[in-house]
Amino acid sequence: MELLSAGGLSKRFGGIVALNEASFSATAGEVHALLGENGAGKSTFIQILAGVLRADQGRILLDGADYAPRDPDAAARRGIVTVFQELSSIPDLSVEGNIWFRREPRTVLRTVSWREVRRRTEALFDRYRFPAIHPGQDLRRLGLAERQIVEIAKALAQEPRILVLDEATSALAARETEWLLDLTRRLAGEGRLVVFISHRMGEVRAVADRLTIFRGGRTVAAHVAGNVTDDEIVTEMIGRRLERLYPQRVAHATDRIAVEARGLSSGPRLPGVTFDMKEGEVLGVGGLQGHGQRELFQALFGVSRSQGEMRLWGRPAAISSPRDALVGRDGIALVPEDRRGQGLLLSKSVRENLTLAVIRRMSRRGVLLRDAEAALVKEMVDFLHIKVSTPEQQADTLSGGNQQKVIFGKMLLTEARVLLLYDPTRGVDVGTKSEIFQLMRDLAAKGYAILFYSSDLQELVNVADRVMVLREGRVAAMLEGEDLSEGAILRAALFDEAA
Amino acid sequence: MRAFLARNRLIVLAYVGMLVLLMVTTFFSPGFLSESNLRSSLVLAAFIGIVALGQTFVIIGGGIDLSVPWVLNCAAILMAIFCGGQDLPLLWVGPLILAAGALIGLVNGVGVALFGVPAIIMTLATNVILQGLIVIYTGGLPTPPAPEMIRYLSVGRIGPVPVIGILWAVLALVASLLLSKTAFGRYVYAVGSSATVAAFSGVPAARTTIVTYMLSGTTAALAGMLLTGYSGQAYLGMGEPYLFTSIAAVAIGGASILGGSGHYLGTIAGALVLTVLAGLLPALGLSTGALMVVYGVVILVTVTIGSDAFAGLLRFAMPARPDREKRP
Repeated sequence: MELLSAGGLSKRFGGIVALNEASFSATAGEVHALLGENGAGKSTFIQILAGVLRADQGRILLDGADYAPRDPDAAARRGIVTVFQELSSIPDLSVEGNIWFRREPRTVLRTVSWREVRRRTEALFDRYRFPAIHPGQDLRRLGLAERQIVEIAKALAQEPRILVLDEATSALAARETEWLLDLTRRLAGEGRLVVFISHRMGEVRAVADRLTIFRGGRTVAAHVAGNVTDDEIVTEMIGRRLERLYPQRVAHATDRIAVEARGLSSGPRLPGVTFDMKEGEVLGVGGLQGHGQRELFQALFGVSRSQGEMRLWGRPAAISSPRDALVGRDGIALVPEDRRGQGLLLSKSVRENLTLAVIRRMSRRGVLLRDAEAALVKEMVDFLHIKVSTPEQQADTLSGGNQQKVIFGKMLLTEARVLLLYDPTRGVDVGTKSEIFQLMRDLAAKGYAILFYSSDLQELVNVADRVMVLREGRVAAMLEGEDLSEGAILRAALFDEAA
Repeated sequence: MRAFLARNRLIVLAYVGMLVLLMVTTFFSPGFLSESNLRSSLVLAAFIGIVALGQTFVIIGGGIDLSVPWVLNCAAILMAIFCGGQDLPLLWVGPLILAAGALIGLVNGVGVALFGVPAIIMTLATNVILQGLIVIYTGGLPTPPAPEMIRYLSVGRIGPVPVIGILWAVLALVASLLLSKTAFGRYVYAVGSSATVAAFSGVPAARTTIVTYMLSGTTAALAGMLLTGYSGQAYLGMGEPYLFTSIAAVAIGGASILGGSGHYLGTIAGALVLTVLAGLLPALGLSTGALMVVYGVVILVTVTIGSDAFAGLLRFAMPARPDREKRP
């Protein structure tokens, strides 16, 4: 008996057809993966499920009864709760304040009973073996991963029959991802339905009982997970055979040292790292979330203060701001973690974003050279295959993958040959992912030195020449060649003896 | 140009609004379009427009300058005292006062950009400190009359055109070029859109912010001197009306009050709208009190029209035109 079934669902946004008679069906007690490239209609579908959008046509049956929620509250009353990719937590409230927001237990005086809130929070954390987070801590003090976990707690607090996870693992590191995958199995075991959206095939493989694939707003296939290969799935997702997700890895590293860090430290999370990065090399950075990766990137780019010795292309470098970092061919460029908050001027055009970091080079005595700018923009849009109707298009109207390309373009224009990439494929569809990996290898071949952090171990193993594993802000291992594997990274991240 | 207008629909709207107001005013008071009245309206609009010039840069850069009233007032009084009614001292007093205005802006900018004081608090504090200082300095005594030269700049004419109108046009040209055609202008928009993204892109964010406040201090000081020429003398409190009007002109001109968008061409329309309004109400037989109420309502309405929430409301009310909706 199907718990949830949808048929003939259509939704248009002006001229754009987001969903085109899509269908979906899932039963209680299963983890059901929903797959598709960005723009395939997954988001629209779950927004309809969540009551955020309403379908133009088609109907959804929940337990055999019509289901058309007016808003997320109505959806929750019917037992469907969604954890969206864009976090919706309130930074000024505590962890528990967020979890029970608008549903706080009350005292007889109708004030919030914080004691009861704490009791319920601890019970919830206990029941689902949540990673250690203090319930009373302010959310603004937590990182992206912990906030994501709080979102999940908030959803579970509503005791959903159907839990929809929209790329919930994209912000999580390996250990937390393990926990979440385990959690979805347990929820399914309790007889609930988990609709699981992820761009990571490994995770889908680990948890999904069945999977449904969307492409261009249509449902192109539904499978029992065991009966289909990865290749078949990817082919169905992108509508053609993807030769390979990961490009051929040809070693291009030379003996020239691009970055030389000696005892580089910044705050308590980065007590000191020492490493070399070679010209033509992709150096991966691994480790559990919160073991100094972010601090390392920020220190190298001059966002936060750092101590220790650093040399760039053999010369001592003192970088105390991104402005210092971005100077000329000997500089360092960063593709930052937070695309919307650090990477893009959302309300500005693709053109303005692309040239923001090199505006001085495109002006003579302070006066802009508009023709030079236009030429440079066109070149970059073509080079990176950024899909825009015009370079004047506003940045926030682009898909995640295209936004990421704009940020890449902005940094490539600076001509800095040391690139720091912090989780560049987060929330990016598989087609764009493979383009980004190919770009990284191409740049390495041209003599760039690339520092590459990813929360997806598979990417590190398949794209990087070497992987530096951080533990407690120190280099726990430097893996390469035969020694480089997901297991080795995890072991080095977790245990001392692996080092 | 067409692309500029397409991206700045709110600016076009401000000019349309100004023309409509002008027609309404002429209907009630046919004398409004007389040459002399247009000329005196232009002069009044120029004062607002000059104070609002610096304010435009500050607001586009994501800040706000509440110190303009007393920067203006201090400039007016100091100029009158130092010149003592003579033209000759103006040659050194004028530049000195403009520099002093820039210096106040520097203090504001450093407080906001380097020490992280919220712009509202920083500039409000500067404003009240300047007020206190100038009251102590003058002891409330009247100042000498304005020098003839400055009177010529504010009330003189070249042919039918007021000198200050020409001055305003030149300043407007400079401001517009700065915003549209220079790297500095690009930086101002970037910092106002997101100071973090700007900094991550190597933009000298703090320096940019500081320069916007310095511009604002300078134009407020310039307006103070010109206004002294217009009134014939400087007096305590003469800057007060310009706090509201300078911000309102920017907002009516289509700039987002949160920064990142807008243009001085819009601010010009804003200054004209405020001036025409001030002429319309007496024509309707309404008092100064009524003018203030109308001012308040106008700024609320224009800022609301420009806001995202309003755009969302429109989309909600008129779902028949959904092509502006974003892709999911």
